[in-house]
Amino acid sequence: MNSAGEDWEEAAAEAVREASRQGRAVSAAEVLEALAARGFDVTSPDAGEKAEAALRAHAGLACFAGADGAARYHDPALLSATYAGIMDRKASPTLLMAEEIRANSREYPRPVPVELFEAEPFGLTPEQIGDALRAMAENPAFEDIAFTATSTGAVYLFSSRSLEPGYAKFLAEHAQNLAMNP
Amino acid sequence: MDRDFDITRIREAARAAGMGEALSRRGFLLLSASTAAAVTALGLCEALGADAPLVILDNAKGMILADPTRCVGCQRCELACVEYNEGRSQPSLARIKISRSLNFGPGGPGGAQGAWGNGLVVQGVCRQCPHPVPCATACPNDAIRLDPATGARVVDGQACVGCKLCQRSCPWNMLVFDEETQKTTKCFLCGGSPKCVEACPADALRYVPWRDTTREAPARAASLSLITPEKTASCLECHVPGRPGTVTK
Amino acid sequence: MASATGGFAGKVLRVDLSTGAVSTESTVERYLDVLGGTGIGYRVLWDEVPAGTGAFDPANKIVFATGVLAGTGVPCNGRTAVTTIFPTCWPKPLVGSGHMGGQFAAKLKYAGYDALIVEGKADRPVWISIRNSQVQIRDARGLWGEGIRRATLEISREMGGECAVAAIGQAGEKLAPMAIVANSVSHSAGGVGGVMGSKNLKAVAVQGDGAVRLAGDKGEWERLVKFHLSILGGNNQHVVPSFPTPQSEYYNPGSRWVGEPGRRWGAAEPPVEITGNIRDLNRIAYRTNSAAFYLGANAWQYTVRGNGCTGCPIRCHTIVKVPSVAAKYGVGEMGQNTCAGLLFGRGFFRKLAAGDKSHTSLEACMLGMHLADDLGLWCNYGQLQRDLIKLYYDGTLKAKLGAKEYDSIPWDKYESGDPAFLLDMIPRIANRQGELGAVLSQGTAGLFTAWSITERDWSQDKETAYWKMGHPKHHANEDDGQCGVIINTQYNRDAQCHSHVNFVRNGLPLAVQKRLAAETWGSPEAVDAVGDYTPANVYKARRAKWALIRKELHDSLGLCNWMGPWVASPLKERDYGGDDSLESKFFSLATGLKTNREELDRMGERIFVLHRALTQRDMGEPDLRSRHDTVPDWVFKDANGAAPFSKGTTRMDREDIAKAMDLFYEVMDWDRATGAPTMEAYARLGLQDVGRRMQALKLTPGTRG
Ligand code: SF4
Ligand code: SF4
Ligand code: SF4
Repeated sequence: MNSAGEDWEEAAAEAVREASRQGRAVSAAEVLEALAARGFDVTSPDAGEKAEAALRAHAGLACFAGADGAARYHDPALLSATYAGIMDRKASPTLLMAEEIRANSREYPRPVPVELFEAEPFGLTPEQIGDALRAMAENPAFEDIAFTATSTGAVYLFSSRSLEPGYAKFLAEHAQNLAMNP
Repeated sequence: MDRDFDITRIREAARAAGMGEALSRRGFLLLSASTAAAVTALGLCEALGADAPLVILDNAKGMILADPTRCVGCQRCELACVEYNEGRSQPSLARIKISRSLNFGPGGPGGAQGAWGNGLVVQGVCRQCPHPVPCATACPNDAIRLDPATGARVVDGQACVGCKLCQRSCPWNMLVFDEETQKTTKCFLCGGSPKCVEACPADALRYVPWRDTTREAPARAASLSLITPEKTASCLECHVPGRPGTVTK
Repeated sequence: MASATGGFAGKVLRVDLSTGAVSTESTVERYLDVLGGTGIGYRVLWDEVPAGTGAFDPANKIVFATGVLAGTGVPCNGRTAVTTIFPTCWPKPLVGSGHMGGQFAAKLKYAGYDALIVEGKADRPVWISIRNSQVQIRDARGLWGEGIRRATLEISREMGGECAVAAIGQAGEKLAPMAIVANSVSHSAGGVGGVMGSKNLKAVAVQGDGAVRLAGDKGEWERLVKFHLSILGGNNQHVVPSFPTPQSEYYNPGSRWVGEPGRRWGAAEPPVEITGNIRDLNRIAYRTNSAAFYLGANAWQYTVRGNGCTGCPIRCHTIVKVPSVAAKYGVGEMGQNTCAGLLFGRGFFRKLAAGDKSHTSLEACMLGMHLADDLGLWCNYGQLQRDLIKLYYDGTLKAKLGAKEYDSIPWDKYESGDPAFLLDMIPRIANRQGELGAVLSQGTAGLFTAWSITERDWSQDKETAYWKMGHPKHHANEDDGQCGVIINTQYNRDAQCHSHVNFVRNGLPLAVQKRLAAETWGSPEAVDAVGDYTPANVYKARRAKWALIRKELHDSLGLCNWMGPWVASPLKERDYGGDDSLESKFFSLATGLKTNREELDRMGERIFVLHRALTQRDMGEPDLRSRHDTVPDWVFKDANGAAPFSKGTTRMDREDIAKAMDLFYEVMDWDRATGAPTMEAYARLGLQDVGRRMQALKLTPGTRG
């Protein structure tokens, strides 16, 4: 408890919820900072572990592995894993694009139009997108990332781990045609 | 309302309003104007006796504020107003007015607004007018009263005889006549949780603290107020003839 | 069934334009078993219009019918079905219906009517004035020759600005089969304008002040309406937004839910910024922007607001303001429409039709809307535009038109994609000027009859999107494999069914769709990923049946089949499920007739089978399977030669489609060999009278000589 008599675990969960409301998933370290600011003693050496355990055990929260490998916590009722993941990867346009392309190819399945990444919440500039695509082309870790162009010249990106090139091409054409097939 | 009101509470309220012990009938009216709803709750007007005309002096607490630039003309507010209150679907009975401005705006056919004009739909909302409340003043049966909870001017269905004089008096044409009950009805702010506001899919309506908006919009109709001699007489209780705008102390 | 105490307005109005007689009949007594909308339309044609009646014969009738839920606060109501012998149906006119939204349906209900049947033919131009119980046939000689805009204005001056006017333009007056009737600026029913014209009927104007009664408890009603709102997505019930939001697990760049915080209605004064949580029920109207969806994000800056039908929070008829178009082409600066109506102008140009989102496209669309919605010209779901492209580029027009006429058309503007071309072309067709106007205003049917082009020329060519009987595909195999094919075989015009496509395009991941499919149609195999089709199975046949029944139900309840059904939702807490029994819950509460999903579906099936019987009777054809339920050749082809069921093709397999039809006829209880409803099916649906008549005509299975 802090001086205000707040429960430590609840305060930690509240810190996660607060960040979720702002569209961010947070690490245990960030939660500890928030707790310290609220007058909790977080100096014990196992505070980090304790926080991780408490957050993991909390029924209303969810977690995923962040871009830096550390766990990120969020309240899925306030912030979806999809959105939290996008925000988490924003620092690295290459990773951001690759993971989003892979997720789309795997889940829906579909290729995504390259302009998607210019729009919010991705908010990348055409230069950043170009750089990221070049970086992917040179890095074997991204060798699954591929593109296809429609008959009208629109570029769609997909992951060959989940989509065959022919099918990706078809789906891109189909997506492009939706607005002409009301 | 309970007629056997407690005179000591009136006295307290009067003191709080700086009225001392001056408990003339005129004092009551002034008092009411300055202490608003606290006194209304005491059944002030009716305390004046069964025959005294009802004059609403208190301002409403809340009102519906409409943003025409957001309105998408869906009439969901009109439908909610009647469906959730009366249990039937009848926009003509709604106490918020959309249909009449939907096609051409308030100017009617050829007008510049509405779907056939520039797209703008100006919602008609009750202003919960301040004293002298045109509709309430016009009612010869004192059927338009003040809801203590919200300060809304509401039609008391028991008292309304269906003469429609109030309809003629509203500068914005906001009262509606229910052919089924043969009574008039008007916006009563849904007792404090307005259905129309909740129903609007475009966030175009808000329930906000009352302020006087009666001078902000031109009247839709020339209002015709026929005021009973009793009410006219009661005006003289506070207002000095020949000295417009002053209130007797 | 107990008697209905709500929902229905109560009466069906009948106006005989030959005699001037006006009469009414009780909706519930006569038409309860067919609900309303297309149900009443089909019943009237079945009972009263003899086989062989031509679309423009005075003996044809035109039925404007809405339904129980129109005029209420049920989200996405407001539809009127206009049923008649359909003039663009080839080679022989058969039953069909156009559908319009706007204010007409609600006003008709408030005036006290569930439907209006117009029969006969006036001896001079007239319009029908309906003000509650007062119905008059009025002189329209002064309006004849005017466009829809002016006709509406002048009638509104007489009726008062609140009335709904459904009027035809010059195209309808000139008996163009390709004519619309339109109300509330942009809400039109295609193909039926000429039928009104043939009756000398310029317009129907309605003002109603009464109530639609709700039989059920008002608190329960309020809760159900709010629940319905909570499971709404954007237009076409796309349940995920087109962009990631903090609150959504899923998104789909192809979704029609394009509104998000940060976007704004740029032409509102002052502009309206979208803020807050777009999933909030007070922001439903910001999710859809048809202009932005079809014309690109640029259209946001021209957006004034959304508009649409009475009581619908979706607002798919986006209002745009483009002053530069007004200045350049001398037309109004305001425009509003959705889908095919919005794209009317752009679709003519080969250069722009392929999804061009430039400013030129926007200008073409503005001009198209302005002209077509005033002259009252229909596009037959884009077929008119596709036909013109094909006819011009393959040289047919040059061959068929006289040199003088051909040279009078500004083809240079056409080739360069100059919208000004439309100022020539659209009035030319609507006014039926010259050979080109006379033929194209008949729709594709005109090409087959006047220019001896064969249907094969069209049905071989995928680019035409032509399906059959003078009409195009409407969400067929390109969207939904065999399900789409089955649905497209069933009508006498384009299928206009959205039940199936709204589900497959809803934007949820395939796995979620399959889970919902298993819950709703009994197996995940009821739905495939687009272009990754598996062979036909009974679940797909069941889903096709469900889709068709829901279409007819929506058309008969006054609901919008462009938005329903609601089997999916944006709600994670409901596992993205919607509620497939919503229609029956609303029906029960509104009417007081407790009816569950199965019972209401049976009524929908009855209506659908009535359409089938009417089609068969008027064709006089025992074998609908091979003579009516046909599939164009292009469905069985692939431009790259891909085999059916290979990934990445929408090519279907002939044998498999035959099997799909077998399965469909089976689930419908129809004869497999002929596709004709069996006597058992008629009896099961309470259509014994229809069955007996069909039997007498030797049109039921096994009665062939
Ligand atoms: S009904 Fe009219 S007069 Fe009465 S309070 Fe409302 S706006 Fe004022
Ligand atoms: S506050 Fe209530 S009574 Fe007033 S207009 Fe809104 S819904 Fe109607
Ligand atoms: S509910 Fe809102 S948007 Fe719809 S008509 Fe009323 S004020 Fe306008």
